[in-house]
Amino acid sequence: MHEQVARYLGKLQRHGLIEGPGDAALYGLDDEILTNAGRVPGTMRELFALLNINSLIIARPGPLFRYVIGHLCLREPGLICPRDCESLTFIHDIPVVESLDPRRTAQALNRRKGCIVGGELVVTTGTVSLEQAFISLSSILFATFVKFFADALNGLHGYGEPVPRGMLDALPGLLARAEPRSSAEPLPERAPEGEDEILRAMDQAGKAVVNARLVDSFFGNISYRDGGAVYISQTGSSLDELPGYIDRVPLDGSSTCGITSSSELTAHVKTYELTGDNAILHGHPRFSVIMSMFGHPLPFGDRRSIGGVPVVSGEVGAGARGLVHTLPEAMREFHGAIVSGHGAFASCTGSFREAFTRLMDMETLCYRTCCALVREKLG
Amino acid sequence: MREQERQLRALFVDLRTRESRREELSPYVTRVFLGGRGIGAWVMGSCPTVHPLDPDAPLVFSTGLLTGSRVPSSSRMVVSAFSPLTGTVCSASVGGRLGLSMRRSGIDLIRVAGRAEGPVVLVIDDGRVGFEQGDIPADEPLSGVFGRLEGAGWSAAAVGRAAFQGCRYASVMVDGAFASGRGGLGLVMASKNLRALRVRGTGTAKAVDPEGEEKARTDILRLFDASPAIMGASGLRHFGTSALVDLMASRRMMPTANFRRTYFPGYRSFCASAIREQEAPKRYACPGCPIACKGKGRAGIPEFETLSHFGALNENADLGAIIEANRICNEAGFDTITAASTIACLAEIRGVRYAGRELVDKVREIASLTGDGPLLQLGSAELARRMGRPELSMSVKALEMPAYDPRGAYGMALAYGTSTRGACHLRAYPVSHEILRKPVATDRFSFSGKARIIKISEDLNAVIDSLGACKFAFFGASLEEYAKGFSSVTGIEADTQDLLSFGNTISSLERHINSLRGFRREHDLLPERFFTEPGSSGAGIEVPPIDRKAFEEALDRYYRIRGCSPDGTFPQDKAREIQSCMSR
Repeated sequence: MHEQVARYLGKLQRHGLIEGPGDAALYGLDDEILTNAGRVPGTMRELFALLNINSLIIARPGPLFRYVIGHLCLREPGLICPRDCESLTFIHDIPVVESLDPRRTAQALNRRKGCIVGGELVVTTGTVSLEQAFISLSSILFATFVKFFADALNGLHGYGEPVPRGMLDALPGLLARAEPRSSAEPLPERAPEGEDEILRAMDQAGKAVVNARLVDSFFGNISYRDGGAVYISQTGSSLDELPGYIDRVPLDGSSTCGITSSSELTAHVKTYELTGDNAILHGHPRFSVIMSMFGHPLPFGDRRSIGGVPVVSGEVGAGARGLVHTLPEAMREFHGAIVSGHGAFASCTGSFREAFTRLMDMETLCYRTCCALVREKLG
Repeated sequence: MREQERQLRALFVDLRTRESRREELSPYVTRVFLGGRGIGAWVMGSCPTVHPLDPDAPLVFSTGLLTGSRVPSSSRMVVSAFSPLTGTVCSASVGGRLGLSMRRSGIDLIRVAGRAEGPVVLVIDDGRVGFEQGDIPADEPLSGVFGRLEGAGWSAAAVGRAAFQGCRYASVMVDGAFASGRGGLGLVMASKNLRALRVRGTGTAKAVDPEGEEKARTDILRLFDASPAIMGASGLRHFGTSALVDLMASRRMMPTANFRRTYFPGYRSFCASAIREQEAPKRYACPGCPIACKGKGRAGIPEFETLSHFGALNENADLGAIIEANRICNEAGFDTITAASTIACLAEIRGVRYAGRELVDKVREIASLTGDGPLLQLGSAELARRMGRPELSMSVKALEMPAYDPRGAYGMALAYGTSTRGACHLRAYPVSHEILRKPVATDRFSFSGKARIIKISEDLNAVIDSLGACKFAFFGASLEEYAKGFSSVTGIEADTQDLLSFGNTISSLERHINSLRGFRREHDLLPERFFTEPGSSGAGIEVPPIDRKAFEEALDRYYRIRGCSPDGTFPQDKAREIQSCMSR
């Protein structure tokens, strides 16, 4: 458990979710509570006693996230309702409580996997491991970030409720601080050969996507087609820790080992069929998602574009309204597409290099478009 | 209590006098025990030390509070009794339409006691109770029995010839294809001379808050779609539980040769793609379930446990023989897991292998009580004891282990030990996180954190079994969404924590009942083999024996978390508290 605490504290920092190690207290419970916080405060003991959990994180996110959360709490006191597809599916809504009062906090955490406390802290829990609490924390920060900017942009352009003046005034400054990372480590140009090289290339590409902040570690997926099989990251695997978590799925249906593969396996396979490509990266770049939610909601089956990049609708997985029915066709033309309110996909032949560059370019394009739309109204 | 809150409606039947009475259970009992397995435990708690086959021992059929609602995958029901195989409290969740029919006939719980003079069929027609002569030939295959009992809106549960022959692991079959399989509940039913239960119901079940119910349904279905294990290309929707065969083999945790090894090279002969190729099964579902995990080809397609145990556990690579063995078990009504494991145990004792035709013959001997049948129908623990090799029964509390080798998943190892009905994978279902990565993955070769995970999972699964929900649903959704559905359907305000605390009450009550029946720490241990013999390492996976000290320390932690003494029983004050939950 000590190891888990140290691991996820490190990840919170590396992913830019908190500023320093003092900004998060992580608690793990088997038959006793372990923490990085030195001692276990009475309120935490009380909270654990009120909940059937084995892990809990209290984090004070970085300043940009705090600003965003603070504003959303003022606009939607009591309950923040994200609109992006991933959040709707997995976290539904985010309860807000005023203070870290154990009973009130427990009440909120009995409803949902995490909550916001006092307009600036995020508290999340897990019943299996700290990983759950980490994922929920990361999800809440992603959901609030996307909601803030998407609401602001839509409000500004008359697609949503008018945005308060204070929020508008802050927008240019916030956007400047949220600029996507531009320098990314180059990925090899040579296509991998043989299983070992493919696994190594996937590991490298996964790390690059996370380091470039094109995805928050546990989201997104990555695959590589090699002849009659697809190598794909497992469901819920961390893209920056892929070794050991990649499935080899034969395309002839001779094995069901893909039962632990990413939920987007079918969409990847169909994309390979239509594009002839052999490498796919899927991330959740924040501005790609924000821009995909700009304007009226996109009806299922419809398409629009952002600077030539197709935007389609579709939910996670292979259901009747799943992105498997919309994404592959869009990928055929551009080898890259954004699924509205969800994330971005890019594919290529050879190594992952081109797909990675395309994903980066799509995010930069969306960021710049977002900035331009703000400037258009605010000057 | 809100005015509209649902209350469980019980039917008490005395087979001796053929009298019955109906009763609405108190709001407290409804709220805390929820139906299904919970209400079964509540009934067993009223007579905790009765012999399983005593005429006064209860047999309970119960639906869950979600049964009949629009909340997805929640039309299951539970059969409960004391197990003649293990001596523990026992319940088994089962699919089919019977739960829905009970609910529509206005009955959530049927408590059967007494012994009829001759075989009878208990008939419930839209709430009206009657009895028919159960003069169906005892050796009639169950497909024929169901042919007589079903049709025109009727649903049924029945026992087969194995039960009437005294098989200790006879099952209760529901609607022909679904088994309330483990622990010998069919033998309890037969001991009461209850040949079958027929139910027809035409009522409707309306949610207190239909809008909330619909919202919960939408959220749950979206999560199903996002789950590779459920709706993914290799998931249950497409292959049923046979999808697990390849996975278990690749993880090197497929019990082979009576658990002497953990890898069977012949697994490809009974994996999902082999079944699809040879049997082209059609998929079908329990009412209200989009997963449709059941399959039927020329005969019923065996579940994963059955495939693996009639396959790898007996070193048998003949799919035809597995399907035929499964068919015989279902026609005569006995548990496939215990049957396969008992045959594997006998094979090891004799130093032989029963595969192909010979395996089918052994299964047939159980069904017909010929050859080794009288010995095999005792289950592996009693068989091995009688043959002087008790250590070769791969069981806990005399219930045989299913098809997940504990050396390949330490949460599963602990869960086999602590399960209240013996070696059962379903009571805590660690397969979910140790293998299928849901809700997140845990290190399967570590006991770190597992004691609390198993305790919480036991409570969670007690809730799932009590609500009438299907465990597979939780490969996608979580109690968070089901709690919303529960409150909308029943009008009972309860969040995740409330439900888990009810689950804790149910799990603790079961453990307490077992302790009153003499079960202690030594009954929570695994067979020696798992601490001394390694599994089949390979493909980069090491499968060492389980570290006994680490296992026992995890067990100690589990007891502390559950509130037990080091011997696995509850201290007096805690026992009193549990007891008081029964009647508060």
